[in-house]
Amino acid sequence: MLIDCDIHLGYETLADLLPYLDAPTRELVVSSGTNGLAMPTYPWNHPTGWDRQDVYERGDVPSTDFVFISLDTLRERHLDAYGVDLGIVEPDEAAVFSVLPNAQLAGRLCSAYNDWLLERFLQEERRLRGMIVVPAQYPEAAAREIRRVGGHDEFIGVFLPGGARVPYGNPIYDPIWEAANELGLPVAVHTHYESVGIAGPVTAAGMPDHYVEYHTLCGSGMYGHFVSILCHGIFERFPDTRVAMVEGGLVPFVGLLWRLDTNWKACRSEIPWCRRRPSEYVWDHVRFGSQPFESPDDPQQLFAAIEFLRPWDTLLYASDFPHWDFDEPEQTLRQLPSEWRDNVRWRNAQAFFRLPAPAVV
Amino acid sequence: MSSGGREARLPLDEAPAEGSVRMLDVGGHRVGLYRVDDTLYALADRCPHRGAPLCSGRVATPVEARDGLIAVGKPRSIVRCPWHKWEYEISTGRCLVDERLRVRTYAVALDGEEVVVSLDRPA
Repeated sequence: MLIDCDIHLGYETLADLLPYLDAPTRELVVSSGTNGLAMPTYPWNHPTGWDRQDVYERGDVPSTDFVFISLDTLRERHLDAYGVDLGIVEPDEAAVFSVLPNAQLAGRLCSAYNDWLLERFLQEERRLRGMIVVPAQYPEAAAREIRRVGGHDEFIGVFLPGGARVPYGNPIYDPIWEAANELGLPVAVHTHYESVGIAGPVTAAGMPDHYVEYHTLCGSGMYGHFVSILCHGIFERFPDTRVAMVEGGLVPFVGLLWRLDTNWKACRSEIPWCRRRPSEYVWDHVRFGSQPFESPDDPQQLFAAIEFLRPWDTLLYASDFPHWDFDEPEQTLRQLPSEWRDNVRWRNAQAFFRLPAPAVV
Repeated sequence: MSSGGREARLPLDEAPAEGSVRMLDVGGHRVGLYRVDDTLYALADRCPHRGAPLCSGRVATPVEARDGLIAVGKPRSIVRCPWHKWEYEISTGRCLVDERLRVRTYAVALDGEEVVVSLDRPA
């Protein structure tokens, strides 16, 4: 049994969403700009390509940042190739809707994307489940979208990108946590689109010059959300909330938690709703995607460094297919101490996403 | 192309041009045949980093810093892994970003008008 918590799929062009959009938005998508509505994107480019080169399907548009992957290619190159029993689909370009300045437009694009994903992939391939893309900058609309599609069995969570205007623990986001909590859906905070659109720069140091710098730092948005969620008492106010931190690495969370636990002791009066040490909420409510699995020359150094995260309970296997830093499942899992392996391979994800128990394991 | 035992043969005029690869089956092993500077080289189709099918990666020209300036190295002399984009020198199999890693290389010889790739180590 293998559950992959991070597979990326996207449309070939925004025009693919036209059949799922209302008439005024269709008009905007077709008529805006020079060649239709353009999405903001990273100011950096990966020097040799964003995606695994052996899965390119560029289609008719040569300049897209993220490549189009057909369902057949996904099956052949990933689901069948690695025996993935369940793959959880995260967005590619659609993640940018959350950092568009025009929040109303973002909401309409999110709805169209979710309908497109449901019809084109999730209902066509029983091994796939989806994360609901929402306009995070417009929490009331995001909550409406969660309630609109969250009842479908094919959607098993809510996606929030690392790039944002305000960290996700802030009370302005309460409608999102309330809706997710009400439907029993976990929320994945996934690094994406930091420094893009209305999102702040990837770090307070200012904008890095190179893609390699950005990709090393891109978890910073997630770390801000992680600490914000803990300090705003989200898990006290919405006790059924589960959060996955996806593609932010593992080691940084150890240092953050040690520092936050220490600071909480001195500053508890500022956040009295946090009744427990912050790390204690993590064991009950937070899980971590395995990719990018940090790779020191001596793997034992990594296992010692992340032991505090209780990875046997909190780690979820994630491939990041088809991106360039994809972690192949068997090689990733083989590195783990044997007593962690089954939990990381599927048991932790099954419990976190509340999936039915597999008939055969 | 013919293949049997520990070697594969193909007509010299079917050998790849610089910048491309010709895939061969050599005794059950997938091998990529390349040409750099008019010399043929054979590499295993397996990246020693994470086992990716290396030979489906792009043949590229290395970008280097020389005397403080950005410069290009020998044209079309490296293959870039399709997964994680690590770079390998085609002529030696040497990994350019991790000196501990090397792609398996195979012997390439000419026998009249035929190219012979064998499972032997290069001379």
